[in-house]
Amino acid sequence: MSVDHKPHPKPTQYVQIALVLGVLTAIEVALYYTEDIVGVFTDPLLIILAVGKFVIVVGWFMHLRFENSLINKFFTGGMILALILFAIVMFERAAANFI
Amino acid sequence: MTKIIEPRKQSNIFKRPSSETGIWSWITTVDHKRIGIMYGYAAFFFLLVGGLEALLLRIQLASPDNNFLSAAEYNAMFTMHGTTMIFLAIMPISAAFFNYLLPLQIGARDVAFPRLNALSFWIFIFGGVFLYSTFLFGTAGAPQGGYLAEEVSRLGSAPNGGWFGYQPNAGFKYSPGTAMDYWAIGLQILGIASLVSAFNFITTILNMRTKGMRLMRMPVFTWMTFAVSFLLAFSLPIIAIALFYVTFDRQFGTTFFLTEGGGDPILWQHLFWLFGHPEVYILILPAFGIVSEVLPTFSRKPLFGYPAIVFAGFGIAFIGFGVWAHHMFASAISPVAQAGFGLSTMVIAVPTGVKIFNWLGTIWGGKLKLNTPMLFSLGFIGMFVIGGLSGVTHSIVPADTQQTDTYYVVAHFHYVLFGGAMFGIFSGLYYWFPKVWGKMYNEALGKIHFWLMIIGFNLTFGPMHWLGLQGQVRRTWVYAEETNLGFWNLIVSIGAFIIALSILVFMANWIYSRRKGPDAGFDPWDARTIEWSIPSPTPVWNFSKAPEVKSLDDFWHMKYDEDEDGRPVRKDSADALMLELEEEGLNPKEDIVLPNPSYFPIILASGLPFLGYAVIYKMLPLAIVGTLLILIGSFGWGTEPLEEEFIGDGENE
Amino acid sequence: MSDSHSYPHEPTGVETRKLGMWIFLSTEILFFGTLITTFMIFKGRDFPGIKLTDVYDIPFTSVSSFVLLMSSLTMVLAHNALESNDQEKTRVWLLATAMLGAVFLAGQIYEFTEFYHKGFELSSNIFSSTFYVLTGFHGLHVFIGVVLLLALWSIGQRQKGLSLDGGMNLEFVALYWHFVDIVWIVLFTVVYLI
Repeated sequence: MSVDHKPHPKPTQYVQIALVLGVLTAIEVALYYTEDIVGVFTDPLLIILAVGKFVIVVGWFMHLRFENSLINKFFTGGMILALILFAIVMFERAAANFI
Repeated sequence: MTKIIEPRKQSNIFKRPSSETGIWSWITTVDHKRIGIMYGYAAFFFLLVGGLEALLLRIQLASPDNNFLSAAEYNAMFTMHGTTMIFLAIMPISAAFFNYLLPLQIGARDVAFPRLNALSFWIFIFGGVFLYSTFLFGTAGAPQGGYLAEEVSRLGSAPNGGWFGYQPNAGFKYSPGTAMDYWAIGLQILGIASLVSAFNFITTILNMRTKGMRLMRMPVFTWMTFAVSFLLAFSLPIIAIALFYVTFDRQFGTTFFLTEGGGDPILWQHLFWLFGHPEVYILILPAFGIVSEVLPTFSRKPLFGYPAIVFAGFGIAFIGFGVWAHHMFASAISPVAQAGFGLSTMVIAVPTGVKIFNWLGTIWGGKLKLNTPMLFSLGFIGMFVIGGLSGVTHSIVPADTQQTDTYYVVAHFHYVLFGGAMFGIFSGLYYWFPKVWGKMYNEALGKIHFWLMIIGFNLTFGPMHWLGLQGQVRRTWVYAEETNLGFWNLIVSIGAFIIALSILVFMANWIYSRRKGPDAGFDPWDARTIEWSIPSPTPVWNFSKAPEVKSLDDFWHMKYDEDEDGRPVRKDSADALMLELEEEGLNPKEDIVLPNPSYFPIILASGLPFLGYAVIYKMLPLAIVGTLLILIGSFGWGTEPLEEEFIGDGENE
Repeated sequence: MSDSHSYPHEPTGVETRKLGMWIFLSTEILFFGTLITTFMIFKGRDFPGIKLTDVYDIPFTSVSSFVLLMSSLTMVLAHNALESNDQEKTRVWLLATAMLGAVFLAGQIYEFTEFYHKGFELSSNIFSSTFYVLTGFHGLHVFIGVVLLLALWSIGQRQKGLSLDGGMNLEFVALYWHFVDIVWIVLFTVVYLI
């Protein structure tokens, strides 16, 4: 095991993080029901919230924040690759559908 | 006097395998060298089968209006030829090299997860057997309104929708019967094998390097293994999901790729080529690695531009993910996508060109020794350049539209995959033959093999260029007399048989030299990388103690100094060093802990084909058997330690 | 495992099994990426027949999403307890995680049967197909995770208890479990809310 580990959070901190996650989920569900009021901002907001929850779980619960940067590179590398490739496919398919 | 510590026959839930010779020792082995050898033989067997299928195709096409094969048989043969060569021959032969050489090149005792390694191998075997069982149990035929129009022979009862399985042609309506299900599920199983080995190799390269083996000191072959593993790890998941969709479409009435239900056949092409193009580099990069080892050794010069070769390899791997749609220029994709992918296709020629120049720079001014491995490597460069150049012509979209689905494309990818990958692989087979068997192959037969093969190869695939430009269409089983294509097709078929002859020479050489070849010694080529610093054949523990690496081409620098002009001068101490290394390598002075053999990889792997049959024939008992095998395998695996606690004699002299 | 051999390990400083797991998870992104892409492509199209919006029950799914989210908390608490070598607590939290996972799975099975009875079947239309394959693939992951957790829990019952090194260790399973959770975070938004 490497020695340059930053200390992991304490159990109470984990509970606090989980509370934040719960609140974010509640906001998501609330947004779903208030779509008429929030309008066009609903979807972007939902995506931002999901990304936020994603980052919190990966960073704190999976300890990615505290890990060797190598692992970070793999995970974000895979993430970015997937996003680029699939964005191209989605746009291409969407464009083909309209032309 | 060996000092391998005998594992205690621990009382576990299952008894551990203990035989050291005979068939059980091979079935239960987790030794990367044995797994590598098994991969090699299995892949070579499938190479022969795939070659046989190609010969049948060529007999059919040797003369116009021939009826040696029926149309259905022809479809099955070209589909199985492509699928076999790619998934069952070239990929596993590359895996054989990875397995055998990777730990040796980074100075490790085994891969990171030895049992997982055995698992990949057995999944590959069961996947191959499953796919080929279609000749026994599969059904296929000409479609007519969704049922089999006529009985076809056993030869034709194989997958017949092409190795690319384009939809909706490979769907149930146009490919009735079960053959395409064998294809989809067979590839799924083979994909798992490659995926597992990719994790294993990435982890091995990162975490099992010996002292001083920094990344930028690794041999190029190891680097290319690294790149290939990434390509596998990131491209196979895509095809796995796409094959799931195909299986669902064919078995459970969904319509992912069928327009009548709102599906999208072009999506299949995207997903397939998102995998399929990286796959091309998965096939060729190992050969790049092999050639980058062979050329410096036989030119007696360091590899020209090592960092450039490494980065170009990764450049190819990375850009290789961004060119997939050039396989789809003739499909209904948008003009913007066509322009973009045309450009990226031109760009990927750049790192490939960098490599070619580096190889030429390596042999430039070198003292060339034209042994068989070197001949094959030089042949590789020549043939690959031809294939690469015809490949770049496809980046011009209008030209591609003209060439798509003609023999021009067939010529192109055979120059790349046969002239490239296979020549590289043969180069490697000859190069490392003495390392694996401790014997030397017969040089004269090796040269005959090379010359027969390069002549046969060019006779076979050279004329396909103009056949294609004259308009001969791929995947058609006959052509009419009036097309005047007969002459060159006959030449092509003759060439194919010359290749077959050269393979026979190779086999004769291999079988003869393995038994009767002269002893090779452990460094017959005066080589550069550390796998040559240990005895041949490699002892079971690889390195008697972990080597410490001080530079790139470490082994070479142990033997050679440079004079003022930069020419290598053999050190006076070199011969003594060689003797010392051999003595040390055979007589380890420390306790050696090796992973123990295990039954569970093969048990776990054997569950997969049962699940495959269960899906095809909707038989619950088969599914239960398959699941049970997988559960027993995983349970035994999980409860059995990799290395048993051992009792050492406690004394090291 | 013995120290008597000269073999160095792990020049990267990351434990080998953990490294392997992270690489596996990196490729899992591509698995789910392909599924989600397909889902998004077909979501943007017109298709005849029944839609997810006709059958789904947001409050129900929200609760089961919350359950899965909280199982990540219990998982990390188990990990934490093991780090301070509290075997008893580790087992309790492991079991709690497995139970929460099982509740989520039960919820998904209930949901699938509900949808099915309302006429939203696997081959109803392209949308229902992508929905079932996508969420079903995730459900399979949860199922495997529950099995792994229970296996770990039963290993913990043995005398030696659990430890953080060697074998199929807790950290290894924890990473997988959290990953399954983050995938659902994305799926919940993409499939149900947007």
